[in-house]
Amino acid sequence: MALMIARRLGSTVFVLFGVVLIVFLLLQLVPGDPARTILGAGATEDAVEAVRRELGLDQSVAVQFFSYLGGLLTGDFGRSLTINQPVLDIILPRFQNTLVLSFAALVLCIAIGVPLGIIAARKQYGIFDRVSMFVSLAGASVPVYWLGLMLIGIFSLQLGWFPTSGMTNPRSPGGGVTDNLVYLVLPAIAAASVPLAVIARMTRSVIVDTMEQDYIRTLRASGIPERSILWKHCLRNALPPIVTVIGLQIGYLLGGVIFVEVVFSWPGLGYQLYTSITQNDMPLVQAGVLFIALVFVIVNLLTDTAVGLLDPRTRRKVTA
Amino acid sequence: MVAAGLAVTLALAACGGGGGGGGGNGDDQTLIIGIESEADVLDPQAAGGWVTWRINSQMYEPLVMHDLQTPSDEAAVPELRPGLAESWEISDDGLEYTFEIREDVTFHDGTDLDAEAVEYNIRRMWDESSPQYSATAAGQTNFVWQFVDEVESVDEHTLVVRMNQPFSPFLRMLAQGGNGSTGIISPTALEEHGEDIAEHPSGTGPFVFEERVRGERIALARNDDYWGEVPDLDGVIFVPIPDPAGRSAAIRSGEVDVIAVPSPDSVEQLVDEGFQLSDGQPPHVWYLSFNMEDEYMAIPEVRQAINLAIDREGMATNLLRGTAEPAYDIQAPANDAYVERTDAYGRDLDRARELLAEVGLEDGFSTSIATSVDGSGQIVPAPMAEFIQQNLAEVNIDVQIQTMEWISYLGRWGEGAGDVGMMQMSWGMDTPYWLYIVTSADMIAPNGPNTGYYDNPQLDAVMQRAITAPTEEEAVEFWQQANQIATDDAALAPIVNDRAPYILAPHVEGWVSASQEWYDLTGVSLDFEG
Repeated sequence: MALMIARRLGSTVFVLFGVVLIVFLLLQLVPGDPARTILGAGATEDAVEAVRRELGLDQSVAVQFFSYLGGLLTGDFGRSLTINQPVLDIILPRFQNTLVLSFAALVLCIAIGVPLGIIAARKQYGIFDRVSMFVSLAGASVPVYWLGLMLIGIFSLQLGWFPTSGMTNPRSPGGGVTDNLVYLVLPAIAAASVPLAVIARMTRSVIVDTMEQDYIRTLRASGIPERSILWKHCLRNALPPIVTVIGLQIGYLLGGVIFVEVVFSWPGLGYQLYTSITQNDMPLVQAGVLFIALVFVIVNLLTDTAVGLLDPRTRRKVTA
Repeated sequence: MVAAGLAVTLALAACGGGGGGGGGNGDDQTLIIGIESEADVLDPQAAGGWVTWRINSQMYEPLVMHDLQTPSDEAAVPELRPGLAESWEISDDGLEYTFEIREDVTFHDGTDLDAEAVEYNIRRMWDESSPQYSATAAGQTNFVWQFVDEVESVDEHTLVVRMNQPFSPFLRMLAQGGNGSTGIISPTALEEHGEDIAEHPSGTGPFVFEERVRGERIALARNDDYWGEVPDLDGVIFVPIPDPAGRSAAIRSGEVDVIAVPSPDSVEQLVDEGFQLSDGQPPHVWYLSFNMEDEYMAIPEVRQAINLAIDREGMATNLLRGTAEPAYDIQAPANDAYVERTDAYGRDLDRARELLAEVGLEDGFSTSIATSVDGSGQIVPAPMAEFIQQNLAEVNIDVQIQTMEWISYLGRWGEGAGDVGMMQMSWGMDTPYWLYIVTSADMIAPNGPNTGYYDNPQLDAVMQRAITAPTEEEAVEFWQQANQIATDDAALAPIVNDRAPYILAPHVEGWVSASQEWYDLTGVSLDFEG
């Protein structure tokens, strides 16, 4: 187990270097010039050139890359080309906001998705199973953008329960947990819709499969109560694939909340990344993608560790 | 586990959302405006775009300003008024501008305004040898200072700007926002914060910077020591809501008091629901540049035919639901040189077909329009390009539309038309000098925004006479001649003039939509009892 974790940590460095290199190279292909973006429609070529010099964009691609990489190794993520602020000052608050939203959505996914899947599996082909699986299929199919607008229409405009957009009340910012939580509810539901459906359907499918295994039949034949079979024997075996799917959904959430962020004007990393990509703001994009990649790697590591703890066979495979 | 997760989320939400505290003071006289995108840097000289100048202009003021308290229907062209310069004199030869700088003004950080403070700012935008020089500020304000030869503070409150040639649009260029704003920054703050000045704004305007939480809000508070009319509002908060449906929802739910750029099809509904519509006619032209290196577009009759085939009235009324007006001149009506030319820009399909037949193109041809899909002030460019595509199909011109996201498009546009037939853009100024910027041979892309490579020596000669006229008044006649030449030769295809609609909650009073892209909030108040 320790070896597995050490190996994964070692490979993380290479993964992150790969991310930095690939994003850097891809950004070279994006049309648009940050200097022209800064100066706008009326810029003359001379002015654009002067700003390019000021930003160091007149250097060769290789020089720009290694100078950036050198900065990274010393913990300097550079300054944003368009906002002219240290990248970390911009990225960290945004990243935190995205984490808040993703984590809230994840809590909803686990709290609702897993029990829903278990109940549906136990009531297989019953009315609860059919309705819940239909709803989860619909949840997975509905565009998040549309769902967000519907939620706003019903719960903000009709019922007046929740605000339509933002993360804090601009009239009284810093209003505390309750204030912020009110802003979190609708975006979290919208962000949770797809992963919740995936988790519910996966849980149902895994439980149904496991309950049909020979050892479950033997347990039933031994007279062990159904409740005990489900919670003590079935669930333990069914958990590893469910945990893996939850891990994958965390990655989906981090990358996929951008639509939710746009609809609800949630000041997260996704929307900042989108803007930075369109402005060709290399240091900001690099840092944003690096953060997401880092979290993705950590979540995968945690997922694999959890699966290893839950399933001894996985541990043996890795250490063998 | 769920409970633990919820607890962590709550904890994160508590520290994540708080932002820096402060912000609006919570009473009813804080105006909240839902704006269409995150603002650029709060450094007026280095920032680009109207979205940002609408915020910066509440904190920063140039030497010369516009009267934005007179609505558009009472003043088609916004009058100039003294800003930080109380008065000015122009020498008879038009080469020397003497500004008397106001004596009763202090910056928000307590620094006194004087001629040296203004000179310090001008050198930041113009003098490459000065330590405070900024290439970005210089690039943004290039058109203002390009003919300046020397700047000198002759006494504590007198500043002289000497030109190397007369430049009649100079005063109006000083008052511009968006690209080329010359708002004056506290020299003390500039010295102290250098590159970080945008995070510590300090100007002389009616509102003082309070805080900025990126993606969430920019909060300003009333400047009680303002030298002019002190605002009624306690403060103003700008909240970026990029999604148009989100902005409509935010004003309906009462979270904001004003929204900018409502989607054209939502305006009528919002007005029916009791919200106020405020619009005007800023100097804003949505236009097409013709690629003069294209075999068809190089033919004047083809360009004239395209102008005559486009249904501007239909676009303004049906597609844009009255949020724009048909454009009948290259210059917007908010410009002294405006000349209405319905003969050239009104729809006449028969004449368009005749013109095409005259050059042997009665069977039509294929061409292309490059357009952004969004962008600051661009209205709804892709549906507008499709509308034009349908119009031109009626005279057998087959148009392919190439779309790009705004920033990529801006880069592509700056390089010049290249292999496309026409390129879309939307901007303008209240000085006719804008025509020079978009059509003169000096400004041919990539050296400037003449993206269609238009080169007309006759037009250039007239514009040169306009530019070098000693005063703006004397220049107007030449600019009108220039408009006529550009129209007769179909240098561009102006399509519509934006009406810049704002939706206001019923309790917002005193909002004025002047003939300009930005607004003065000093007369605005909130009346919840009315």
